[in-house]
Amino acid sequence: MKSHKAADMAAGPYNYSYIFKYIIIGDMGVGKSCLLHQFTEKKFMADCPHTIGVEFGTRIIEVAGQKIKLQIWDTAGQERFRAVTRSYYRGAAGALMVYDITRRSTYNHLSSWLTDARNLTNPNTVIFLIGNKCDLDAQRDVTFEEAKQFADENGLMFLECSAKTGENVEDAFLDTAKKIYQNIQDGSLDLNAAESGVQHKPATPRNPLNTDQTPNKEGCAC
Amino acid sequence: MDVIVEEHVNPEDLKKFEKSYRDQELRGKPSDKAMFDYAWCLVRSKYLQDMQKGVALLEELFRKTKDEVAKRDYLYYMSIAYTRIKEYDTALKYANAIRKIEPGNKQAVQLEEYIKKKMKKEGLMGIAIVGGAALALGGIVGLGLAALSKK
Repeated sequence: MKSHKAADMAAGPYNYSYIFKYIIIGDMGVGKSCLLHQFTEKKFMADCPHTIGVEFGTRIIEVAGQKIKLQIWDTAGQERFRAVTRSYYRGAAGALMVYDITRRSTYNHLSSWLTDARNLTNPNTVIFLIGNKCDLDAQRDVTFEEAKQFADENGLMFLECSAKTGENVEDAFLDTAKKIYQNIQDGSLDLNAAESGVQHKPATPRNPLNTDQTPNKEGCAC
Repeated sequence: MDVIVEEHVNPEDLKKFEKSYRDQELRGKPSDKAMFDYAWCLVRSKYLQDMQKGVALLEELFRKTKDEVAKRDYLYYMSIAYTRIKEYDTALKYANAIRKIEPGNKQAVQLEEYIKKKMKKEGLMGIAIVGGAALALGGIVGLGLAALSKK
């Protein structure tokens, strides 16, 4: 886990062109931290204790030939942390909202998580619904169809995943990034807006001499 | 881990949770929840006094509760606060205590590693100064020897 500020400054010419901020939300025990761990470490973390407060992870991905650094805040599902973790929603470009397909209560609480996500992020934040633990199909308590319908009705992207087997985990994180990138491309996401959750890191010109623009010393806007 | 330890609270959030704590205080003893929300913001403040106040609230919550998970949560933020204050020995003691409740807790392990790294880094700087003095002394001795050999 690297300090974003320190790492970014040390990186000089960045090896990525964008930073997207994500949050992961949902009830306790649905597997939020395991999804993050599977995505950043490509490993399943068995016997994972309940998260204390928040955790942080990063990974650099590629979308349409652009390197993007994902900065992911994984929030604790415990009620004790609910109030203060809301401040981490601010400025998220993507929100992964997770429930457990084997526990109906975690699905029933989605509307409350969605209300928080909508109220505390900006209108362009991409919200991705994840039905985790799809490897436990025998214990299924929520059908794919009803969750899909809930997602469609609320304009959410949706996948069933398994942090254990890794199924669809990569896709959930990457599809969210693709959607955010698409929003940047079509202009619906304003990079200059405060709390867009996206930072653009323009690549520094490799050879400053090889440029058509002559340096305009008089018009220096310093 | 550095992101988690070094991250600052949004001043507006601090104000908001301070207000609800103070409002409850006027009516009697604030709830554990109000205390914790306020404490979690305080320990992430930029100011030493806030961090110390946050630790005091967490220590009070810790003493009051019998719930092991709650204890674990309070210990974690006490440890983070002491790390930020640079009282590494106490920070390490609290991070260690989490592992007594939950052996192998990844967040506690990472926090311990971070504290030890900080101690080593800041401890090494002390050694570097001593080492520098030794080098200077060596230089003087060396010069003396060189002067002697010239004779």
